[in-house]
Amino acid sequence: MKCEWVRQNIVLHVYDELADDARYELDQHVARCSDCAAELQAAQEFRTTMATVKVTEPSPNLLTSSRMRLQEALETTQQGGFWNRLTFDPGVWFRQVRFSPALAAILVLAGFGGGIGATYRAMSGAQPGVDRVDRTVVPPEESNITGIRSITPVAGSNQVNIKYDTVSTRETAGSLNDAHIQQLLLFAAQNNVNSGVRVDSVDLLKQRLNDSRVREALVYTLRYDNNPGVRSKALDGLGSYVRDDVRVRDAVLETLVSDANPGLRTEALRVLEPVRADASVRTVLERLAVKDQNQFIRRHSRELLAQLPQID
Amino acid sequence: MPAESCALPWGERERQRGPRATPGRSAGSDGSRQGHMAGESLSRIDDTVLVREAQRGDRAAFEDLVRRYDQAVLRLALRLTGSEHEAQDIYQEAFLKAYRNVGSFRFECSFYTWIYRIVTNLCLDHLRRKKVRKEEAGVVTNADGEEFSVIDHAADERSGANPERDLLRRELGSQIGKALDLLTPRERIVFELKHYHGLKLRTVGEMLNTTEETAKNTLFRATQKLRGTLAELR
Repeated sequence: MKCEWVRQNIVLHVYDELADDARYELDQHVARCSDCAAELQAAQEFRTTMATVKVTEPSPNLLTSSRMRLQEALETTQQGGFWNRLTFDPGVWFRQVRFSPALAAILVLAGFGGGIGATYRAMSGAQPGVDRVDRTVVPPEESNITGIRSITPVAGSNQVNIKYDTVSTRETAGSLNDAHIQQLLLFAAQNNVNSGVRVDSVDLLKQRLNDSRVREALVYTLRYDNNPGVRSKALDGLGSYVRDDVRVRDAVLETLVSDANPGLRTEALRVLEPVRADASVRTVLERLAVKDQNQFIRRHSRELLAQLPQID
Repeated sequence: MPAESCALPWGERERQRGPRATPGRSAGSDGSRQGHMAGESLSRIDDTVLVREAQRGDRAAFEDLVRRYDQAVLRLALRLTGSEHEAQDIYQEAFLKAYRNVGSFRFECSFYTWIYRIVTNLCLDHLRRKKVRKEEAGVVTNADGEEFSVIDHAADERSGANPERDLLRRELGSQIGKALDLLTPRERIVFELKHYHGLKLRTVGEMLNTTEETAKNTLFRATQKLRGTLAELR
């Protein structure tokens, strides 16, 4: 290991920000390099020196007056509405667009739709001698008609205006590694009105959980999807990350504590078994073992706790 | 939400709902790591419930969130502005901003990170303005022609009745204050959040909308500068 690397990382060592293996290597190096040992000592002394200036707690008077002032202001402040949410901070809004796969998928689909619409208008506008009333109707395929909105006979003629909805279903195929396929799946997981489609998409997304965006989408599904079947699929997929990803663990803990479906709560308890020794899980189990209304959850929480070594 | 709930002073409501942990304590505070982690996790879950209630328009829930974090927010603002008046302004602006926009909070990070992000951004703006003012109008001085800083004049209770030690501490505090003033606003915020508030650099990165790696580099630069400046001043 080079001294340069050590010197760049000594401050992280002093502030307890080094990973265990790096910390071990650094300690080993310092033990045999007097220059780096001196640098480490200097960094530790620096931290001690800086600590001589203590953080001053705000005085109770200041805190109280700040709270009173804020409370008065809140009396006359309204929470932002829908449009405010969109327009509050353009920077944040654009960041959300950039990082949100679902919104990106909507934009892609809107782009497709707009493109098709524009092309259709350009094509139909290019036909000479055709106006709106006398337009030759090209009958749409029956399968493309999703509904008739209105039928308006034109008085004094045998003409009729019919407003109808069509849908242009597109099909695409590709690998799960394809970014476009992933976007569609993420869109389906979070936005589709059909819970069966959501189940299918979550089922497929489970194979891509090494992608943090996918995990984020499944955490969202686990927290907010109104269909227990979809939530169950998400929980099933996320189970393998409960050990490594604290957001996943929190979401599963939230399911265990507050999901309306007892079956899902039981499943969450099973998923958390491998990390039952984790302090956050243990604390939740201790609470559930005493207070939960569900007898099974109470009993099983007690059983899991009984398997753990006691903490002094 | 019952009307009387709104009318209750916050302290009273706090007693009724039970005590809550105060986050953002400085590093080295007592308590086991496990207990701290468990507390954090439960706190995150509780926060989620409160944020959802606040999003549905429950002002009492928002006020509960304020109570959980306002001391830490005020402490940070006080450290960075060095003025009670300005700290109070930042406190007010931060929580009003949070209240107006809690509806757009999407749980992509913890509420704690979100509110700290708002506060650190306000403090960054403040420090930038302060730096510009200093460059334009010169350094603010006291009656003796010295730079004035809250850090210089913070009373240290530990020194008690020992005037000599008190004087040395004040001198050191003054040097540290000058060294901190020489940092860029971003370096200052990273150092403050890490050293004085004991936050992990990953969290600091999230708060500043940057990566953990960038936060590490910024901390490295800040400590190098501080060490250099303090060595010169001594």
